[in-house]
This record gives sequence, structure tokens and C-alpha cells, in this order.
Amino acid sequence: MVTFNYNPDEKVITAIFAGRLDTLAVQKLSEIIMLNLPLKDGKSEDKVIFDLTGVEYISSSFIRICLNIAKQAGSGMFSIIHCQPFIKKTFKISGLDELLNVT
Amino acid sequence: MSDSLIEKADEILEKAQFAAAEFHQYDQVQTDRIVEAVFKAGFSNRVKLAKMAHEETGMGIWEHKVIKNVLGTQLVYESIRDEKTVGVISSDPRTGITEIAQPLGPILAVIPVTNPTSTTMFKILICLKSRNPIIISAHRGAAKSCIETVRICYEAALEAGAPEDCIQIISSGSREFTHILMAHPKIALILATGGTGLVKAAYSSGNPAIGVGPGNVPVFIDESADIPFAVKNIISSKTFDNGTICASEQAIVVIETIEQNVRAEFEKQNCYFLSPEEIKKVEKVAIVEESMSMSPYIVGQSVSVICQKSGITVPVGTRILLAKLDGIGKEYPLSMEVLAPILAFYAADDYNTAINMCIDLNYLGGIGHSACIYANDEKRIMDYAELLNAGRILVNTPTSQGAVGYFYNHLAPSLTLGCGTGGKNITTENITAKNLINIQRVSRRMPNELWFSHDQKNYFEESFSTDEILENYYKNH
Repeated sequence: MVTFNYNPDEKVITAIFAGRLDTLAVQKLSEIIMLNLPLKDGKSEDKVIFDLTGVEYISSSFIRICLNIAKQAGSGMFSIIHCQPFIKKTFKISGLDELLNVT
Repeated sequence: MSDSLIEKADEILEKAQFAAAEFHQYDQVQTDRIVEAVFKAGFSNRVKLAKMAHEETGMGIWEHKVIKNVLGTQLVYESIRDEKTVGVISSDPRTGITEIAQPLGPILAVIPVTNPTSTTMFKILICLKSRNPIIISAHRGAAKSCIETVRICYEAALEAGAPEDCIQIISSGSREFTHILMAHPKIALILATGGTGLVKAAYSSGNPAIGVGPGNVPVFIDESADIPFAVKNIISSKTFDNGTICASEQAIVVIETIEQNVRAEFEKQNCYFLSPEEIKKVEKVAIVEESMSMSPYIVGQSVSVICQKSGITVPVGTRILLAKLDGIGKEYPLSMEVLAPILAFYAADDYNTAINMCIDLNYLGGIGHSACIYANDEKRIMDYAELLNAGRILVNTPTSQGAVGYFYNHLAPSLTLGCGTGGKNITTENITAKNLINIQRVSRRMPNELWFSHDQKNYFEESFSTDEILENYYKNH
């Protein structure tokens, strides 16, 4: 449901998600996400990208995780890419698409 | 707040309230007679008023303003002519519900400079049809033509027996006065058509409002579209009155695979793709940098005027300027609404990216307004409709003439287009007379057998499960 790629040259870690990210799935994923992201003392030295190419549903708990990570990563260090239009619209409705840098 | 302005507002509203009191007693026949007379008067002056509006505002094309006046009179009239708006408007013996229409009271109608005479006549007709006195607040840039429109309509209304002061106009151009009127306790409703600030003021006034603000209409040309047809329709719409209708196309989005075909078709039909340097020059005159909003000096201007102001040269006869942009947002000024023959143009890598671009454009100042798709793939049409936040999703249709109804579809002819809650409106409908009445429902006693035939004591017994209660509720039905 999630795999991580690290690009040391560009200092970018990409989490690639797939499937339905409902509340139950996010509960299982949250610990894995936090363990794999380079957040130290609430800050990130590497850019964090969530790639949602294969995601077909997101729960509010996933949006909350995105928000927490974006805040911890700091300004300009977090982004969400490759949303399906339905997911893009979901972020728009949440009102967080700009804050989360959803493209 | 000036005392003299408050006194002036009190005076206008007192007159309007007296008119409302008298109007309230009119029956459907009397009301319809007035509406017909006003329609005929406005319609017979359609050319004169169009030329006046064009001359006074310096915007648009007078012949197109004639068509707008026809929409605001003939087409609106025909759509409301047979509608019941007085007294009992429906009665259903099956439900025992009878609906009675009541007028709202004095309506303040704010008129935009882009469509002054047509919107004035349209709002007068729908207000009179619903027996509401109307106070026109004209834009100072179109005051003369609005005053003349009101004079023509008011004289015809009086001649047909309408109450005195059923149509009034304020044309001082003072924002303060308009705000005083908006907040006046005797105003029943504000019909605000205009910019974001004005619409927000209407909603903040404390009085009910139907406010319609800006759009930023994305157009997706799908791979299944008939490209020459799509381009022809887009041009006919974006050049209509030099793009002054808020539903006019703002950005064209295509998938890379058809980009060259679409570009070639636009060029073939006398449109011009700006170079990056030319885009920068046009941006400067089209968008005011400080406010990041469209410049009033560009609204409704022709390509030649825009080029002159921008200091660029394009082939003679160019109909639309297109700007291929890399992004959407304030960093790309031409991705925002511009009511002139300028279009943003985007080529996406794939379908999903293209639709995401349309969503971004839709949310960049045009939520709830209108969107358009050219396609011959039903699934893509319906997917697009689901994904965009727009009151009107126009399919294979020019948006200027499509969104206002009648010409290309069966939407209600209207010059006030509801944008739903996304646009801070209460409705996504094309506003018409039925939106300007209070409907009272007379409900005859028709006891609900379901309710009275089951044991209501069950509700007080906590040990009964929901299923047990429902089983009892629906037993023998």
C-alpha cells in the first residue's frame, strides 16, 4: 500500500501510495509512514513527496496525516503529486490543496 | 455614514414600500399585462439601448448588445409569460398541499457595467412578474444608459397600470450609498451581479441576497471532440460582445496528443498564439498587478485595442489572443478571469493531468460558475461534470451564449447565474421570476396513517430495538 524511494542526490523521499486509504488502512499505515520519513525534532532536511498515482480513495485521517507531515516538514518541503482528478477534488474540498502543495 | 444619504435611502425605500403594498393587491392578469407592456417597450428600444450602452461604456460590440437585449426582454418574457406568480400557483389533492405565491417586497438590483441595459430590463421583468418593486443601482460607468432603460420600462409599466415607484433608479455611483441601501431594513432582497467585492458586500449586508460574482470558465477539449467544431464554437463565444459575459471561456485545456491539431485549428480560424515575450506585455495591461484582478481598461475591448495597449503587433483580423501557460495561479496572471478576447491555453501530458488543470482553473476565482467540455465520449462528459464545481456544465456548447440559456439549451434565459455555495450563492440555478417569490404552503389535514396506526408507546420503551420498533411501525402496510 506504500513504498518509499529515496533520492540522495536531490535529497527527496517519495512515498508512493496505492489503493483505498480509508481510516482502517491509514491506521495501519501511519506508523510505517512516520518511521520512514526523515523527520527529526519536528523538522525535515529532505523534501517529502506523496505520490498518489494509484490511490482511489482518501479518508479524512489521511488528509490529517498529510497536514501533520507538511507542518513538520516545514514550508516548501512537502508536496503531493499525481492525484487522480477525484482525489484532487477531495483536496480542493478540504481547503488544504495549497497548504499541502497538491499538484 | 452621511445622514443625508441615510435620509435619501429612507425616502427611496418608503416609496418602494408603498409600491409593494399596492402591487401586492394585483392579480395575475393585471401583473401579466404590466410585464407584457414592459417587455414590448424594452424590446422595441433594443437597438437604441444597445448603442447607448456601447457608446457610454466603450465596451463590447453594439450588435451583440442588441442580442443581449433580446435575451433580456423577448426570451426572458417568453420563459416567464405563462408562469403563475400570483396567488394559488399549484394545488395537489393527493398531498393536500396548495402553494400560494407572495411577493418579497422591495428588491435592490445591482447592475454591472458589462451588460447594463440587458441586465436592467431582465431584472425589471422578473421583479414585476413577481410583483416586487425594484430599485436599480446602476454602475457609474453605465448610468446614462441604465437611466434611459428605466425611463422606458417605467413609463410602459405605469401606462399598463403598475403602481407608482415600482421601478426606481439610483445612479449616483456612490458605493457608500449602495451599501446603505443594501443594509436598509426595508430591502427584501438584493439581486447583485458584479465583482467579488460587490457580491460580498451584498451577502454581508444582513439582508437576503442572490449575488453572482466572477467566473473562470475552463474548457476541456477531449480527444474525442470534433476539433474544428469546438474551436469554431469557442471563438463565436469568446468574441461575443468582446468577451464581456462572465460565463465566457477563460482557458482551453487539451491533452498533448491533440495539441498541434487544436493549435492549427485556432490559427486557421484567425486566432493568434502569443510568444512568451508578448504574453508578458499582454499580462501587464490585462491584469492589475497590485490587486491581481482584471483591468477595467481591458474589459470588452477588441483584439486591436488590446494589442495597441500592449504594444504588440498581430495579423490583421485576429479574433482571439491565446497564451500558452505553464501553470495556474497568481504567478500566471492570464490564468485568471479576463473579460476580453484573450484565452489561456494548456497542454497536459495525459487525461488526468488535464482534468486536474481544469479543477485548478475552476477553483481560481470561478467556483460554482460554469465549465465546458467538448467531447463525444459520454463517460468523459459525465466524469467531467462530476469533478468540476460548476452550476452549469456546458457540453459542446459556446459558454457565453450557452450559460445564459435558451439559445443552445433549455436552461432558463437569465443574466444572473447562480453559483451555488461555492460562489456563496444559495442556488446554482439561472435566476428568474420564480426565485423572487415566497411560496406559502397550505397543508390540509391528511393524517398519516403510518403514524397513527402503530403503538407510539414503543418509543418510550428503551428495551425495544430499532428493528423491533420499525417492524411494528410498518406492520400491515
